[in-house]
Amino acid sequence: MSFLIPCPNCGNRSVYEYRFGGELKQRPEATASAALWHEYSFNKVNRAGEQTEWWFHRAGCKQWIQASRNTVTNEVRKSWIAGEDPA
Amino acid sequence: MNFLFDSEEVPIQAGDTVASALYRSGRRIFSRSFKYHRPRGLLCCSGKCPNCLVNVDGSPSVRSCVTPALDGMRVRHQNAWPSLENDALSIGQHFDFLMPAGWYYKVFTKPATWHRVEPHIRKAAGLGELFENPQGIPEYEHAWMHAETAVIGGGPAGIQSALDAAERGEQVVLIDDQTELGGHLRYRKQRGADPRERIDALAARANVTLLQRASCFGIYEGNLLGVLLGHPHAGAAERLIHLRAQRIIVATGAYETPLLFDNNDVVGVMLSSAVQRLIHLHSIVPGRRAVIVAHGSEGDEVGADLKQAGVEVVEILAPSEIIAVRGSGEVKGVKSRRGDFACDLVIVCGPRVPDAGLLSQAGAKLQWSDVPGAFVPVGLPLNVSAVGDVTGETPVAAAQHFPDSKRAFVCICVDATSRDLKQGIADGFEEIETLKRYTTATMGPCQGRMCQLNAIQVCSRLTSRSMDETGTTTSRPPNPGVTLGALAGAKHHPIRRTPMHHAHAELGAVWLDMGEWKRPRYYQVAGAGGEAESVAAEYRAVRERAGLIDVGTLGKLIVRGKDAARLLDKVYTSRFSDLRQGRVRYAVMCDDTGVILDDGTVSRLADDRFFVTTTTGNLDFVHQWFDWWLVASGWDVSVTNVTGGLASVNLAGPKARDVLRKLTDLDLDPKAFPYMACREAQTFGVPAILMRIGFVGETGWEIHYPAEHGEEVWNAILVAGAEFGILPFGVEAQRLLRLEKRHVIVGVDTDALTNPFEADMAWVVKLDKEDFIGKAALARAASGGGVREKLVGFVMEGGVPEDGAPVVIGGIPVGRVTSSRYSPHRKAGIGLAFVPPELAAEGAPVRVRVRGQLRTAIVTMQPFYDAEGARLR
Ligand code: FES
Ligand SMILES: [Zn+2]
Repeated sequence: MSFLIPCPNCGNRSVYEYRFGGELKQRPEATASAALWHEYSFNKVNRAGEQTEWWFHRAGCKQWIQASRNTVTNEVRKSWIAGEDPA
Repeated sequence: MNFLFDSEEVPIQAGDTVASALYRSGRRIFSRSFKYHRPRGLLCCSGKCPNCLVNVDGSPSVRSCVTPALDGMRVRHQNAWPSLENDALSIGQHFDFLMPAGWYYKVFTKPATWHRVEPHIRKAAGLGELFENPQGIPEYEHAWMHAETAVIGGGPAGIQSALDAAERGEQVVLIDDQTELGGHLRYRKQRGADPRERIDALAARANVTLLQRASCFGIYEGNLLGVLLGHPHAGAAERLIHLRAQRIIVATGAYETPLLFDNNDVVGVMLSSAVQRLIHLHSIVPGRRAVIVAHGSEGDEVGADLKQAGVEVVEILAPSEIIAVRGSGEVKGVKSRRGDFACDLVIVCGPRVPDAGLLSQAGAKLQWSDVPGAFVPVGLPLNVSAVGDVTGETPVAAAQHFPDSKRAFVCICVDATSRDLKQGIADGFEEIETLKRYTTATMGPCQGRMCQLNAIQVCSRLTSRSMDETGTTTSRPPNPGVTLGALAGAKHHPIRRTPMHHAHAELGAVWLDMGEWKRPRYYQVAGAGGEAESVAAEYRAVRERAGLIDVGTLGKLIVRGKDAARLLDKVYTSRFSDLRQGRVRYAVMCDDTGVILDDGTVSRLADDRFFVTTTTGNLDFVHQWFDWWLVASGWDVSVTNVTGGLASVNLAGPKARDVLRKLTDLDLDPKAFPYMACREAQTFGVPAILMRIGFVGETGWEIHYPAEHGEEVWNAILVAGAEFGILPFGVEAQRLLRLEKRHVIVGVDTDALTNPFEADMAWVVKLDKEDFIGKAALARAASGGGVREKLVGFVMEGGVPEDGAPVVIGGIPVGRVTSSRYSPHRKAGIGLAFVPPELAAEGAPVRVRVRGQLRTAIVTMQPFYDAEGARLR
């Protein structure tokens, strides 16, 4: 594993500068069913293809970013500051 | 200039490698083979075979033919005893019938036999040995580089590609594993124009970086190249370069491989390119009389070189004409269908194989092509291209001949012969990948370079399949191999020291490593006993008088803003919005599955300002966790890491109040400054945050103050406490003191699945909060769902289990001890253990294995010391 992730603050950087934060998911309401919480907590979609993920740029700007990664090729085409509009 | 080979002095000439100097001095046997200990000499002279491995300055299995000879080097032979010329284990080759292909699997079918024999086999077959290096362990380093175009291989094709890219204005890095650029033109003088002019042009360009004596051992994802550079400077043995390139041009050329005939491994049988290197690069006359084995006119080139060097060319034989080489140590002659010839060299013009390993690592397929007669790379990935002989542009020819013989070595690394391959196929291993594993052919130090083509061709013939159907074995990085030292890199370990580090050292601290931090484990007082005595004295000071410990490694965060309490309510299981200013509360953090992530304290310094502590190892994680939950929240909160800016101590013991009173004007009366309160006040003249908390179970204050006053305040407290008998205490005493209070250490007494109910801390979970991280899972755990085990205290008379000792029911482990110590207070072993929930009852007996013996311990849900907490208040 040695791909690059573009950081919106720092530019193109080695994946080793980042901490992986998992797939972007919608957290259920506290009152949601056990099944929904189970799904959220333990199951990953792990899509073969484009997937939006959390990455923390620990060796750079120390910010959470979100990135769209192709899980087959590890190509990251787009990234943005977490919570901001990807466009 | 000379170096020492075993005990003989070997003179060095300019440009010499270790092997060329040895060869010139008359050495012909360089190593002994892996299995049969047959003598072996220089075969390829280019670092691609297993024959010239020696120990250089303590590093085993170094290829002497590509290692520059340096003055004062210490070189030793390996894999032979007592010497290369007389190796006792070479007797093994006469018993080869005992060791056919796959003999491991056939003979050692019982584990007992294998375990008895394995050490002997390992000793006989192993490659190299580690010696103590008189100069010490060499230094290694890592470097990072970037290029627009990286060219691998400094032969004519690589030079031209690098020049072209440089002229386009690109940043170019050219990697070549030889001492000089030029590739085969350096020693194949009849092949083309002298590349000198183009090399000079390249060296003159400012946008070209030349990495010479550097081998590219792997292409990784994202066009990352692993490059190993030998002797980057006097202070380092090797430099591992992480080179990231936008475009990669592979110009690794082709290398010559052996032909198959009986005794094709005898010393003096040499590839034509090897002998050309000896002649043209090192001005060596390689022998007196040579027989050349070549297809068609392919022997003419090397024949001319040999004659020019003064070697008599006795005969040129076709591969089908040679029957066997005569000679057991060194070549004495050749037996052929055209008669016998006496000679001391047999020069083999073998097929030239495209060196396409890197390309296949990058994702290219290797496809057989009858013209040129090689596996050629096809389907190159984007941004990777190939030029020159690696593409198969030059015909390979050299029609092969495949004798079925137990002396025709296909794989010289592991002594696998054509007969062994045949046997493997007969045993059912017809696929090249399984045949490889069964016979171990292609799995030796040359990583298949010398043998892959021959092995595939033998397999293809014997199974009547085409070359493409037979296929190739897989090339994986690193190729060539990389030393572990180079992978490990510089011996550089960052160390974090608290502001009072040197004061601890003067007090006799014995250190404990906690991540990057150094903490005093205990203080060795001059003239006192060892660890046990020191810890006992420190323990007594805290319980009876006063003790002082440096807790500066705790993570410290300031959380500030209108919504600060809202954030803390969300990420911790307790409630903080109702925490009054000047109060402290214990805090446990869980994830959404209810698992405990960290614990610490939260102090409310002002309405919108909190002081948060984390465990030593989790600071970064907690900070990132806060930031994560703040993403897109729109909340007014800022989180600042103030760990490095503050020194922190814990002053505890029945006399702690008397000590502190001497250093601050603050009213320390229990009514004015009660348990679980916090204040900001001057202490010994510096601004400090004081918290009345009691991890060790006595009246005490955790004091945080500016790091630049670290030693000053630490010393002032010790001076003020002297009249009360204060002692500094270390982590070991602290762990014992807290264990007597049954206080949990997250990560020691909890694991990656523990929730607060399992840790017997139900009181920290406030399920009536609107929402917090872990609420849904903890609500289920509160009603008993998902509580697999429970953390309990235990008392054991007459023994102390080790941390991690199993709790056993009916011979089956059902739980484990997480922490255990001898308690001076209880005069018994005490500890914390996970047990099944039904055993978590006051007074329940459990059985714990203590050094092989089962002993009974009694469960308690109470602290072992001061159960009511009277001493804290
Ligand atoms: S002779 Fe040195 S590696 Fe082949
Ligand atoms: Zn960044």
